[in-house]
Amino acid sequence: MHEFARTSQIVEAVLSEAQKQHAAKVTEVEVEIGDLTFLGLEQVRFAYKILTDKTMAESSKLTIKQIRGRGKCENCGYEGPLQYLDDPQFHITIPTFNCPRCERPLSISAGRECILKRIRIMK
Amino acid sequence: MSQIVQGEPGEIFDIELDENLKRANDLLADENRRQLRKYGVRAVDVMGSIGSGKTSLIEHLVRLLKGKYRIAAFKGDLTSEIDSERIAKLGIPTIQINTGKECHLDANLVRKALGRVDLSALDLIFIENVGNLICPADFPLGSDKRVVIVSVTEGPYMVVKHPFIFADADVAVINKIDLADAMNVDTHKLSSDVRAINSKTSIALTNCRTGEGVDKVASALGISSVS
Repeated sequence: MHEFARTSQIVEAVLSEAQKQHAAKVTEVEVEIGDLTFLGLEQVRFAYKILTDKTMAESSKLTIKQIRGRGKCENCGYEGPLQYLDDPQFHITIPTFNCPRCERPLSISAGRECILKRIRIMK
Repeated sequence: MSQIVQGEPGEIFDIELDENLKRANDLLADENRRQLRKYGVRAVDVMGSIGSGKTSLIEHLVRLLKGKYRIAAFKGDLTSEIDSERIAKLGIPTIQINTGKECHLDANLVRKALGRVDLSALDLIFIENVGNLICPADFPLGSDKRVVIVSVTEGPYMVVKHPFIFADADVAVINKIDLADAMNVDTHKLSSDVRAINSKTSIALTNCRTGEGVDKVASALGISSVS
């Protein structure tokens, strides 16, 4: 959901930075998206292509780094990836926010990001 | 005299930005939270799909708690005031937030609604989100507690099909339990699905038509209904 709105934010930030740097062209853009957000990567790429059309960032390379969900346990000190429960009956994996070691609730430490990491420009 | 290094035309530059694009909403949510704390007002965000019983739950919570607390309700919808009129009949300040075409409330809309009520004259605010189990999860509002309500008429897989909304759910309400047999839905299975996803989430079974179990929702939220 909201890929178009989020991607316009990305493109706006890219273009405003490029302008500030007096760039002639944006060649590469790198973003990080957490897999606990509701952003579909396919839709982000699609929106990016449309939104950068006829701009300084036209046909620039978009790299999306997916950040896996991670959690921290206050109880036993576990810090690591969230676990996924497999349900073969429905071919789905269900994330769990419980600690894999002690079953207590985890606090989420990664996986909700939507970050514009860096851009590469040509002057 | 310092030396100057400059790029030549056609030269490539890498610029590190590290710009958090979710920051705009998160900052407004923090501001809402500060504002509410300042006045000692507790806010509860109620999320659930269309027809799951969000408005009925709030109606019963207001009936149960209004003798003891000063309550207001914000009601998010795309359009119309149908539901907010239902809540306003209970004699509490009610603000309709029409999102137009947006499928969720965001911190900015809630900030505007907070500006329309007298926070010094309130103890509790119930914020009913737009009927949707996906988008509201990405937009914190600044509330103290988040409630997710599902009902048995939505079928037996509502919880496992929408696991991410339970990441921040303090309370899960399983509604329309009077219809569970007719729908052939096992409420224990729905409860154990919630626990498997997030053991932090308290679970309350309700029939929001009669008000059965709504006192359990209040106590799970840490709001005492006994004066």
